[in-house]
Amino acid sequence: MPPNKTQHSEDNLMDRFDRAGLRRFRARDAIIAVAIGAAILILAAGGSIRRAGNGMRSGIGRDAVLAVGDPAGWLAGGLPVQHAAHVLTNWLSPNLNLNGFVGFTTTTATTAAAGSIPPVTPDAFNPSTIGAPAPARQPLHTLLVTGDSMSEPLDQDLAQALVPDGVKVDQDPHIGTGISSTILVDWGKLSAYQVRHDHPNAIVVFIGANDGYSMPGPGGRQVSCCSVEWATIYAQRVREMMNTYREAGAARVYWLTLPTPRDPARAKISLVVNAAIQVAAEPWRDQIRVIDTVPVFTPGNHYRDAMPVNGEPTIVRESDGIHLNDAGSEVAAKLVLGYIEKDFTR
Amino acid sequence: MLFPTVQFAIFFPIVLALSWALMSRPALWKPFIVVASYVFYAAASPVFCLLLAGVTVWNYGAARLIHRSPDERARIWICRVAVAGNLLLLGVFKYYSWFAQGVARVLHSVSLGMPLPLLTIALPVGISFFTFQAISYTVDVKRGLIEPARLIDTTVYLSFFPHLVAGPIVRAREFLPQLASPRDPNRVAVSSGLMLIGMGVVKKVVIADYLGRTVVDPVFAVPRAYHTLDVVLAAYAYAAQIYCDFSGYTDIAIGLALLMGFVFPQNFHSPYRATGFRDFWRRWHMTLSRFLRDFVYIPLGGNRGSRLFTYRNLMITMLIGGLWHGAAWTFVLWGGYHGVGLVADHALGGRVRFPGWLRWVVTFNLVVLGWVMFRAGSLGVMWAFLSRLASPGATTLWTAPVLAAIVVAIGPQLLPERPVQALQDRIGRLSPIVLGPAVAVLILFVAATVPSQGVAPFIYFRF
Repeated sequence: MPPNKTQHSEDNLMDRFDRAGLRRFRARDAIIAVAIGAAILILAAGGSIRRAGNGMRSGIGRDAVLAVGDPAGWLAGGLPVQHAAHVLTNWLSPNLNLNGFVGFTTTTATTAAAGSIPPVTPDAFNPSTIGAPAPARQPLHTLLVTGDSMSEPLDQDLAQALVPDGVKVDQDPHIGTGISSTILVDWGKLSAYQVRHDHPNAIVVFIGANDGYSMPGPGGRQVSCCSVEWATIYAQRVREMMNTYREAGAARVYWLTLPTPRDPARAKISLVVNAAIQVAAEPWRDQIRVIDTVPVFTPGNHYRDAMPVNGEPTIVRESDGIHLNDAGSEVAAKLVLGYIEKDFTR
Repeated sequence: MLFPTVQFAIFFPIVLALSWALMSRPALWKPFIVVASYVFYAAASPVFCLLLAGVTVWNYGAARLIHRSPDERARIWICRVAVAGNLLLLGVFKYYSWFAQGVARVLHSVSLGMPLPLLTIALPVGISFFTFQAISYTVDVKRGLIEPARLIDTTVYLSFFPHLVAGPIVRAREFLPQLASPRDPNRVAVSSGLMLIGMGVVKKVVIADYLGRTVVDPVFAVPRAYHTLDVVLAAYAYAAQIYCDFSGYTDIAIGLALLMGFVFPQNFHSPYRATGFRDFWRRWHMTLSRFLRDFVYIPLGGNRGSRLFTYRNLMITMLIGGLWHGAAWTFVLWGGYHGVGLVADHALGGRVRFPGWLRWVVTFNLVVLGWVMFRAGSLGVMWAFLSRLASPGATTLWTAPVLAAIVVAIGPQLLPERPVQALQDRIGRLSPIVLGPAVAVLILFVAATVPSQGVAPFIYFRF
């Protein structure tokens, strides 16, 4: 049977752009229209293109975006159009206004303090580790669950467990963000905002999947991951956040370490991130619980997709080899709830 | 690469200009568009380009063999093997973990060990779409509806970036004829394309993402934290969100293709206007409906048998359609639910007469109820959500912007079609030199509504 090349079944409406009255143009018009549109976007939002490029991981994609973004940002910065566009559209932004909050300290000392011994305070002792009586448990009113995409669906699991008991659970994930990058969000500012806005008396933090960005060190010099110097700056940032969240001892912080990811390059970053979290928590072990997920999900820092859950072999990771899936998240939630139970009544 | 991103905004103007510059020389244009499409795909995951290339070569070879074989039985077997290969690939990447976990659970319950490794396998973006297109190509060659295409044409067809990652599912007999000769540079529906792109971006970023962020995600995450009215709102908000998300993507895809001189089949036709389940599936994800009809329902026997036989075929088709959306029991349940709806539609059709408005009210609300299953993610969340429907209490989510977004998403579908069409035609007649900048200004305002973490992934990317 000879094929009929022009035949279409009658329900695909392939001829809907051929109906009478629909105007056709030249291909040149399409190119000009798109070019004018692109020019408008460059003039009015060139800075955003550059910012988007800076927020990307290094690679060809980032280079390509910055190849356009850098000159676009320069051009837009020198003209009034970008400012006018910002004034006209800024009211539509769903982002938090973090102006007025203090961000991460950029002048972190990364050399050993000479001649001085950092003081040890009573806050550094977790009572349970020295046989001291635990402080009386307080009722849990508000729990904030935050972090990057790692905090999902952990936040849902915790909310599902605690909301029926009357606990207010604020879920505040910030996807794609990291402590080492302040382009999308400065976690120094955000943590201060969260504390002021939500007044939580317990905070669960699960973050680090996107980290590994260079950070400014002493003198503004960029420090690349994952040297001791980078780990020091990272730990300093984590410590600033922990100090904010603990609200001078009024709140408890539950900070989860990263389960080892599948990708060896990412595993190296997570190793440093986890070490930095432990170091950052040292001054306030009585208020900050570092919940180490590595022994649970990836003993010996060996990645695995599945593990026994209640004796049953269960897949606990997402296919990206980074995140926990629903089953894994439930395991993590039980872990967190176990810690919360020790500190709070419900 | 996502459509509404800076990367794509840089990629597309360059590709568009080069595409038209090379259009008159197909020997250059075709390799160029293949490279551009693979670059587009590689932005998501370079390694899966090999998979796409493998699917292309596999189906190209099968179609050639089918065409050359004079023996009908051999043609049937070659076609079966080719389709099985495509389905095996889809099965491994999309369903292996789900299947292995299910088997492990059953075996564990009877104290037996697991014979299969429990692994997670990364899902290649768009695999459900390009494998279905590949199947349609091979089967249509077997059916004699099209001739086998050259390798370069098959490659362009399967990888063409506007439809690569989330459809519409373009049939080979709709696309390959458009490759037979260069697109006419003097007959391009530029303004229609620009209008569709603008509409798609607004639907996706302004309506779908907003409703997802403010209503749908919080309620489906913890249904117990909400009461009846908020839960009801979330159900309707999700109906609006999924329509705007998927039809927004489709609008952008069709608009981009139009600017490049290509036409894709229609994928949505005011689905919430439907007055029955059959009508709904003629309007919702039309290219998938056609695929399931032509490659599942009719080969099963369609309605060429007893009434019960037809019902069986409808149920099987819809269960497969549900499972196509993802490896989860909620999708199977959703497919079965629509299967029952179609069976009821067939059973009652012509026997009982209801007023049109009543049929619309019932259909729309049943479809919305179906979306609860689709969105829930697990049977536990679904039951929790449904149980909260009978839990009177305070409302926290009913705000004017949310209601406006739902009305704007669903309302226009209920308007008489002719005036809406006339308005679209009028916009389509505007000069592109006016419309291009207008769309750019629109995008500026739309971009201002995007949160710092960026545009949420399209819902259908994960299918």
